[in-house]
Amino acid sequence: MICSTKNPAQRRYFRRFFVTMLLYTLFLVTAVLVFVHHHPTGPLAWLLALLPALAIIGQIAAFGLYLAEEKDEFQVAIGVQSMLWGIGGTLSVTVVWGFLEGFVHLRHLDLILVYPLYCILSGTAFGLLQLRYK
Amino acid sequence: MKNRLRILRAERDWSQADLAARLEVSRQSVNAIETGKFDPSLPLAFKLAKLFATNIEAIFSDES
Repeated sequence: MICSTKNPAQRRYFRRFFVTMLLYTLFLVTAVLVFVHHHPTGPLAWLLALLPALAIIGQIAAFGLYLAEEKDEFQVAIGVQSMLWGIGGTLSVTVVWGFLEGFVHLRHLDLILVYPLYCILSGTAFGLLQLRYK
Repeated sequence: MKNRLRILRAERDWSQADLAARLEVSRQSVNAIETGKFDPSLPLAFKLAKLFATNIEAIFSDES
């Protein structure tokens, strides 16, 4: 997906990715501003809190769609491998952090950081795999 | 798996990009198959065989 010449599935993925990122930014800024200035409660508070998360779920779905639509089986293999590295790495980091938090009172890891951690790890794995098969 | 892709390409004076375009995959995919880092699926192996007007066994062979 880093290649300069992208196939139709990759172009669709990038389009969906940027739309979900845009929605995420919009929903997050809206939620923060409304919570800071109007202190909403009840269903509105729930809705505002969930909107940025829905955008992230959309981003995960966009990658799933890409894997389903990609015709180049080697690119699918790279995508799946990078996803597995991301999932494995995220689970490893969070389980180690969890035990350290429980036993030696390490600073609490906010769950909101799990997805960015996954993105960093899977993105790094994707870059390294691209280099390996260059 | 060992393969004769590089030879078959050379016989036709095709670059990896040329072969990739004919297979509708990325050049990276052709390189990975050619260097033995990635084994293609059966449909892609058949597509390669058809493209080179031969059979799969003439392109790929078991390393053992």
